[in-house]
Amino acid sequence: MIECKSIIKKYGERTVLDIPSLKIEKGERVALTGSNGSGKSTLLKIISGIIPFEGELSTEGKLLYMPQKNIPFDMTVLSNVTFSMTGKRKEKEEKAFEALKKTGLDALYKKNACVLSGGEQARLALARILVLHCDILLLDEPTGAVDIEAEELIEKIISDYINEKNRTLILSTHSPLQAKRLTDKVLMLDKGKIAEDSSSEEFIHSPKTQFGKKFIDMWRVF
Amino acid sequence: MDKILEAVNMLLAMDKELIHIIGVTLRMSFFSTLISCIIGMPMGVILEKGRFRGRQLLKKISSTLMGLPPVAAGLIVYMLFTKYGIFGSLGLLFTVEIMVVAQVILITPVVTCLTSSVVSVSGKNLRETARGLSLSRKKTMGLFLYHNRKALLSVLLTAFGRSIAEVGAVSLVGGNIQWKTRVMTTAILLETNKGKFTFALALGIVLLLISLTVNVLASLLTKGDKTDD
Repeated sequence: MIECKSIIKKYGERTVLDIPSLKIEKGERVALTGSNGSGKSTLLKIISGIIPFEGELSTEGKLLYMPQKNIPFDMTVLSNVTFSMTGKRKEKEEKAFEALKKTGLDALYKKNACVLSGGEQARLALARILVLHCDILLLDEPTGAVDIEAEELIEKIISDYINEKNRTLILSTHSPLQAKRLTDKVLMLDKGKIAEDSSSEEFIHSPKTQFGKKFIDMWRVF
Repeated sequence: MDKILEAVNMLLAMDKELIHIIGVTLRMSFFSTLISCIIGMPMGVILEKGRFRGRQLLKKISSTLMGLPPVAAGLIVYMLFTKYGIFGSLGLLFTVEIMVVAQVILITPVVTCLTSSVVSVSGKNLRETARGLSLSRKKTMGLFLYHNRKALLSVLLTAFGRSIAEVGAVSLVGGNIQWKTRVMTTAILLETNKGKFTFALALGIVLLLISLTVNVLASLLTKGDKTDD
């Protein structure tokens, strides 16, 4: 479970996030959406404990976070996955290979991760998560720089990983369709505030707020 | 061409003075690079990642000192360690140790600033990625060093290169004393002034060879990192 009370984040005089109250239950899947600079990444960073903030935050369970600018470590693909693991080398490698297979990177295990394509790097970032245990998964635009085919695969991997142990998911995305596919609830942020809180189904078909309608209409154009 | 052949012959004959000069140069450069990196690298990280008052001022001072003229550094050290200077009682003037001190003053700001830029380029995103994977502080530090090994190695090589090629400061504080504080650069200068080009050329060849060896070693150390396929 995640509970936020009176969360405020300021950069100098500028308030970039102001969340009076937010509660996410165990096993809940929530999408954070909104335009650039609306506070999605900031909220994820606050929940993951990466940046300081004012207010109260309590989380239950182990938390993993995949940032938007996920860095492939300058080592082989296999080492990238085993690096954060503990235990015996053989066991770690077996588990890592399994994750690489799931993400379709097993053939590239010897390659240096820095020479992978954008899509491959996104899948590698997920493979690094798959080998670790967590109760809460925070993903910041996991398909931000990938093609449709890779997006489909990544969404399937995320979905399987979340369903496996009824994990909590908070996903930041610009796509209402992705929010609908992966989550049950949408929090739409605007200028650091929650502008809309609805089910993902409801959000895509009949957004409650004018801002939400505008956001969905922009998507419908495409 | 004859001079070059003579210089090569001199090297092959293992001229004693030549070997001594090379030894003093390597000893001085090794220790000054080592000390500068021990001080400068953590300072670079602190200046980039630390949150304390006066950080910007320290960064400015550090980058200004990068351009410190070697003779000026040499003069300051000379005045501090001369018989009537604050550290005069130590009796270090005209020793290899004082040459190392002068070099450390010159090189540390370079190491600090270059390390700062390495940290600023990859530090934030790498830290977020590591934190996201719940890596311990120790493991994150290990990851930072390994991930940036090539950039940090290049900082070290730059420091070594600056150290081995320096003339002004070491000449002032070391005194270019034969069999004691004479290093390759000061010897080249002296021998050229005397018109003894063979000796100067031999030292020049060694300088180039050292530079080449260091670069080959560096590329060997990082070999295979980007071409594992």
